[in-house]
Amino acid sequence: MLGYAVARSPGLAGLLVAFGAVGAVLLLAVLVRGLDELLPWALAPLGVVYAISLFAAGGGIDEAAPLVATALLLCGELATWSLDARWSIPAEQGVELRRAAALGALALAGLVASAAVVASAAAPAGGGLAWTTLGAASAVGIVGVAVALLRRTG
Amino acid sequence: MTRSTSPRLGGYASLAALGLITGLAAGRVELIALAAPFALAALAGAVLGRTPRIEAALSLDRDRALEGDAASATIKVSSATGVDRLELLLPLPGELVAAGRNPRALRLPAGEQRTLELAIRCERWGAFRLGPLLFRGRDLLGFHAWEAAAGEPQPLRVYPSVETLHALLPPLETQVFVGNQVSRAHGDGIEFADVRQWAPGDRVRRINWRASARRGELWVNEQHPERNTDVILFLDTFAEVRVHGRGTHDLAVRAATSLAHRYLQRKDRVGLVSFGGFLSWLLPRSGTLQLYKIVDSLLQTDIVLTFASRGVDVLPRRSLPPKALVLALTPLLDPRSAGALLDLRARGFDLVVVEVSPVEFVHPGPDELSQLSYRLWKLSREALRSRYESAGVPVVQWREGVPLDVPLEEVRAYRRYARAARA
Repeated sequence: MLGYAVARSPGLAGLLVAFGAVGAVLLLAVLVRGLDELLPWALAPLGVVYAISLFAAGGGIDEAAPLVATALLLCGELATWSLDARWSIPAEQGVELRRAAALGALALAGLVASAAVVASAAAPAGGGLAWTTLGAASAVGIVGVAVALLRRTG
Repeated sequence: MTRSTSPRLGGYASLAALGLITGLAAGRVELIALAAPFALAALAGAVLGRTPRIEAALSLDRDRALEGDAASATIKVSSATGVDRLELLLPLPGELVAAGRNPRALRLPAGEQRTLELAIRCERWGAFRLGPLLFRGRDLLGFHAWEAAAGEPQPLRVYPSVETLHALLPPLETQVFVGNQVSRAHGDGIEFADVRQWAPGDRVRRINWRASARRGELWVNEQHPERNTDVILFLDTFAEVRVHGRGTHDLAVRAATSLAHRYLQRKDRVGLVSFGGFLSWLLPRSGTLQLYKIVDSLLQTDIVLTFASRGVDVLPRRSLPPKALVLALTPLLDPRSAGALLDLRARGFDLVVVEVSPVEFVHPGPDELSQLSYRLWKLSREALRSRYESAGVPVVQWREGVPLDVPLEEVRAYRRYARAARA
């Protein structure tokens, strides 16, 4: 993903690599020390790298965005799975397969949702105000869910 | 049930919110697309957060076992709501080893009951309580976990293995009750003892006709009667030497169990005194019930560190009956037990000291000071043995791997040939 971002904006390679390195170091810390609470913060710099490359490249809609999003999600989920596997609890046949299938389904659903967002933005549609309102409502909704979940984990 | 949520769930929701807000503010739909999978994951986590209902029960196939035996634990789990991943763990003490998978993870569909067997190998004697069973349920993607304990603790007593003893140590004096030990006294019995002149009241069947014909007057036979013995097993629990899970206390408990088992088999009365940081005693009794009481008491014994000074006068009189054979099992590490045993000898008890040798459990360092300390330690032990022997107490060493018959035979030889030295 870092390579893709650098390829899109070669002029900002230094900045992109720096942010990517921060994300990589945080991800390494998560995997080596088992600090799963740092995982979202390890993914954030990688998202920032992509965002910077978007703004730097300018132009139209980047159709690779759904793939980048799915890759980030898979990165987080696979890192979590590797941390869970350290407990070395032998599982019966099928338990891990079910988790793999669920993860695959989640990744596919994320890809479809992300692609739908990109596709809906590319389609000509009037009523910009309606879309803005929907977007704002979604943002408020997701912030509410985030607060509720953070309270539960905290 | 304790519920915990993965911190990544809140993180995903935060990332989704951040992406959404940034995308709206900057007018870039790609950032909103970046947030979409994380928002979906957060939503999935919220949906999967339903608390499962899990029931678990634990039972053992037996409550008593011998060292080296295997017991089996049966775990029954069921869930009305189903669990995608259920992790089960039966905590075991170090002396018990699970032969199967412990912990293990499985899937439990709704309404189904699973029965799991876990073989447990009893490596060492002791009194244990297994359970409760610990379990943790997780959803499909590991966003939430629910932990709880279930099942009542199950008692399991692992008895020490018993050594085969071919011959037991006879006491110097027997008791007045009928038993299997040939007494030195003369009376009614099977073993021939002596002949004496007839006295009024003697039965005709006891007349030794050959002796009577030779002497021209009536002489009768005398026998050695069979009497029982009172044996007191004196366990020194002040200190022990232990390395890699093996120690002198283990050997002493095994020896005490073997001796109690054989003496009680012979219908003798056996008592137990555990003399150390924690003082306990069992009055001498006979029978199978007494064997179980002795072994159960031995399972409870442990080395408890104490600085208190104790003498045998704290023990009740009935725990040390007169003319009892006192078999002391001691590693000769603590001077307080030596003082108590010499006190017993001074009070006239028939005392035998079986030294459960700690020498093979001690490995001195390579440096000169450690070697010198080791030699001094061994010399001090020799001096203590000399104190016992000068008091007329036989002291025999018993090492791991040597049959218990060997030190007992040494005591018999000592009694046969030892004589008091006169200046």
